[in-house]
Amino acid sequence: MTELKCTDPVILNQWHPLSSIDEITPGLIHSTMLLEENISYGMDTDGNAYAWPFDNQLPTRSRLTSKTVRNPLPIHIAHGYVWTSLGEPPETLFSFEEYYEADRINVPTGVFGVNVSAGRAVENFLDMSHFPYVHTGILGEEPHTEVKEYAVEVSETRDEVLATQCQFYQPKAALASEGGAMVDYTYRVPHVNCALLYKSSPNDASRSDVIYMFLQPMSQDWVRAHTGMCVIDEDNTYESIRYFQQVIFGQDKPILENQYPKRLPLDPRSETPIRADKTAIAFRRWLSRKGLRYGVIPAAA
Amino acid sequence: MKLYDYELSGNCFKIRLFLNILGIEYESQTVDFYPGLEHKSPEFLQLNPLGQLPVIEDEGKVLRDAQAILTYLAVKYDASGLWYPVSDPGRLGEVAQWLAFADGITGTASAARLHDGLFYELDVEAARAGAHRLFRILDEHLWFAERVGRDWLVPGDHPTIADIACFPYVALSEEGGIYRQGYPAIRRWCDRVKRIQGFVGMSGIFTTSHAA
Amino acid sequence: MTTDLTTWHPIASSTDLPMRHIYHGQLWGREMAVWRADDGHVNVWENRCLHRGVRLTVGLNEGRELRCLYHGWRYANRTAGCTYIPAHPADAPARTICNNTYSAVESHGLVWSAVDPIGEFEAPAVLNGNDVLALRPIPVKAAPDIALKHAKSYRFSPIGEGCADVTLVEETDNHVQLHAKQDQSKATLLLFVQPVDAGRSILRGVLTDQPADAGNILRHHNRRMQALRDVIEAEATMLPVPEPIEVQFSKVDEELAKMPARAKSGPKAELRVSVAHKWDASEGVAGFRLEALNGQLPTFQPGAHIDLHMPNGMSRQYSLTNAPGETDFYRIGVKREPDSRGGSECMHNAVQAGDVLAISAPRNNFPLRRDALKTILVAGGIGITPMLAMAQTLHVQGLGYELHYFAQSEAHLSFPDVLKTFGSNLIPHIGLDPASTGGALKELLSGYDYAHHLYICGPGPMLEATRKIAAEAGWPEDAVHFEYFKNTKEIDDSSTFEVALARSALTLQVPAGRTILEILQENGIEAPSSCEQGACGTCLTTVIEGEPDHQDVYLSDSEKASNQKIITCVSRAKSKRLVLDI
Ligand SMILES: N[C@@H](CCC(=O)N[C@@H](CS)C(=O)NCC(=O)O)C(=O)O
Ligand code: FES
Ligand SMILES: [Fe+2]
Repeated sequence: MTELKCTDPVILNQWHPLSSIDEITPGLIHSTMLLEENISYGMDTDGNAYAWPFDNQLPTRSRLTSKTVRNPLPIHIAHGYVWTSLGEPPETLFSFEEYYEADRINVPTGVFGVNVSAGRAVENFLDMSHFPYVHTGILGEEPHTEVKEYAVEVSETRDEVLATQCQFYQPKAALASEGGAMVDYTYRVPHVNCALLYKSSPNDASRSDVIYMFLQPMSQDWVRAHTGMCVIDEDNTYESIRYFQQVIFGQDKPILENQYPKRLPLDPRSETPIRADKTAIAFRRWLSRKGLRYGVIPAAA
Repeated sequence: MKLYDYELSGNCFKIRLFLNILGIEYESQTVDFYPGLEHKSPEFLQLNPLGQLPVIEDEGKVLRDAQAILTYLAVKYDASGLWYPVSDPGRLGEVAQWLAFADGITGTASAARLHDGLFYELDVEAARAGAHRLFRILDEHLWFAERVGRDWLVPGDHPTIADIACFPYVALSEEGGIYRQGYPAIRRWCDRVKRIQGFVGMSGIFTTSHAA
Repeated sequence: MTTDLTTWHPIASSTDLPMRHIYHGQLWGREMAVWRADDGHVNVWENRCLHRGVRLTVGLNEGRELRCLYHGWRYANRTAGCTYIPAHPADAPARTICNNTYSAVESHGLVWSAVDPIGEFEAPAVLNGNDVLALRPIPVKAAPDIALKHAKSYRFSPIGEGCADVTLVEETDNHVQLHAKQDQSKATLLLFVQPVDAGRSILRGVLTDQPADAGNILRHHNRRMQALRDVIEAEATMLPVPEPIEVQFSKVDEELAKMPARAKSGPKAELRVSVAHKWDASEGVAGFRLEALNGQLPTFQPGAHIDLHMPNGMSRQYSLTNAPGETDFYRIGVKREPDSRGGSECMHNAVQAGDVLAISAPRNNFPLRRDALKTILVAGGIGITPMLAMAQTLHVQGLGYELHYFAQSEAHLSFPDVLKTFGSNLIPHIGLDPASTGGALKELLSGYDYAHHLYICGPGPMLEATRKIAAEAGWPEDAVHFEYFKNTKEIDDSSTFEVALARSALTLQVPAGRTILEILQENGIEAPSSCEQGACGTCLTTVIEGEPDHQDVYLSDSEKASNQKIITCVSRAKSKRLVLDI
């Protein structure tokens, strides 16, 4: 791949998710788009993953063998997903310890195409004040609209945005919960296009369920959103958890697709933040400091 | 009554919406449509050999196809007879005409949405162009209906199942890149449908403000 | 068609805007949310909620306010100013949060707008005085100049069938005027090309006269114009698709880009208003309707007041009684005070309809939460004024409330026309003496529960009594909100002390007989103020160090005890020194 359409090194040098391992049929070639390039990927029957720029010789859904791949891209397998990069990716990916805890179930809840930039999607994921309006009756409900003070920091050691002590009233906090309650949240943004939220588990007050969203930027304003949950939940089936998440995501989608402009504006004066948006403000600043240009409208220098 | 259901399906929504308007209790059985493809499983194909949602089971009767189900529900459960005017051949014919039109919207607008949102492989440009052709016809029809003070697809003061059948994939079209900005009469009709007593939304379709 | 942003274009038909709908318009790439408020006013706003950019066309037209779908922010009819932010229900939104608007004029069955107009709108002369008919608009996927080029060749019949002689009368940079003649019949059509975007247009036709058979004529034009559309689109498909116009969005105020800890008091710009109407609002209370001399009055929220500067040089605070969306005037009530220092006297006797007065922009130190499970409003006498604004807000939003109005007699119930809209939510308490007032208050405050909120406005003694009864009945302090309209306490200004201004790095002496506020203002420090008697809260300041000597009636007891805030117009220091966050 000589001439790439995307020229922003900040985004080129990231690891990007392609697919959850669950959704890859071993031995078969799959294809997708990443930063406007057509990419093929797959896993062989021994569990090795491959990704490469689309190659006419290797059509989608044909058989994959390790010998056939000519220009392999870097590969990382982590957190249940296959990741690749079009630049020079770091040695490691962010940590996600809960994923590896034995008593949790990990449910990829589906991958959805959304006509929006990755930054807008991440910001929506970090936002509590839309719950009563967008997820009415599930994650929030009028008149319980107040966002209480919470704490935000950019962790120096881990280079991630961290919001803690977040609280919000929820009429139906999770599938396993009945009735309304204040729910505690912690948010992490450990990667420009990935966010995780930790939410008090209705089954075990001392631990949290984790919901994540890993975004694969197909272009500046079209993403594949890989969503999933990592929960301590004995009562619910894989399908019902998946269904719950899809309902939620389906509600956010028309909002995201109606944000104007689609790319995330980084100039602090482009929109109007309030105290409830502290995490989003920290996120936008953090992206600005990294010098990100792809999928955002950078602040004029 | 049992509805084989999937929240994000506009065709299933037609049934949920109408059942809610009629105030009929039902059991929703979620089918893992995506990514599970449960509607293509051997068990489900027993219910509907076409491998499609929705399907209902009512007092032992199994019925597929959203438009067919709406017809069945209207005749069986709507005592007012307003939703499906069986005794008025002219209007009944028009209802049937728009029910067929609704299937055309599914074939185009819904297809484009499946492509953009769930990565179905199909000719999305053709699907969008097809939807725009239908929307032009629909907008024109509704604009002239408004001129004579008519709110609904079929003449008369009351909506019919034609409105219920056409509404969902029109309202969801933007998820398939089919923008409704150029169809102002369609946009107003969507508001009116949302104000029908008993209206509920779905993921992707919000309710609107109260009438003045 | 050159991109001339100053030209007015029709962007919608009047019939596109039924009540409680939001039309999605666009002009030169700028998306527009176009909506008619219940009072008939047509708003044309940039289609972008200034909070997080969500299109307002997916929001809700609630008749008086437009509500954004994403976080429920509300924006007022006309001003586009934000009136409520649900995430922070206890705060009044900074007054300057305002969506961007475009010029809008409704005339001749059309809504007209321009991105950057020069001067006032003027309709094409042939339309004036005529009973016109707007045709069904036809969107075209083609650049405006291609559409305009073909518009000339549009052919139609004045009777809806057959062949007419069509002549081009006039051609401008956004429309053509065509004249059709067929036997004895004639018709004149203006065919506008609305530049939607680089590659999109809308054909909008207007007939200068209502035809006899409008239904038939509309269908005729609809057919012909669709045929014209097909011709235009056929040409456009041969050409490269132009890139959409890249819209530069204007920036929000610098002050809003920072995250204000609390809504700041805004600019002190004085406005000039005329007294449009003066009437008896009740026994001893005069109502005033104030209208802007030019331009738009600023956004207000329920609970807000204005400073009114009277011809006699005095200034007084009056609460706005307006309902949400009533944004083309301010309505206040002024009580005749027998022992008045002259303010009410002047308003009652000297000021008449037609007079011009200077007022401040509205300030809101008495914000109304809209997340309460139940709201109790208690008004005594002229204390009804802010309660009217609050009750109307709760009423139109369908939120549960009771308005208890204590008055001397039926004849003393002010603004009866507004009161009657409250139905059974209004509970008048007439002619009670202090003891029975206390009894009534005890009863109505007996059922405190979670997320109930109480708002009180009235004479000092009644306010004190209500606060006391509420506290005894178990109302927590943060559920009890009140506004004094004056501070009747005896102010002791005998102390002397020093104030250090942390951010300005300045130390000032406050001698006996002078207030902190005066000293600040004298030294050129920006210090907003309004009532200057410790009642309204406008001059509220954060204390970093030292112990204030509170003499105001604005702060609650626990706020006073915490010593973190001070009302600088009356309060002083017990310690030798105060450090303020200024
Ligand atoms: N004509 C049928 C169409 C139903 C349909 O397209 N259903 C979709 C879900 S919304 C489906 O099951 N698609 C799967 C398929 O067609 O393979 C109806 O109206 O019910
Ligand atoms: S984006 Fe409109 S309220 Fe937040
Ligand atoms: Fe959400």
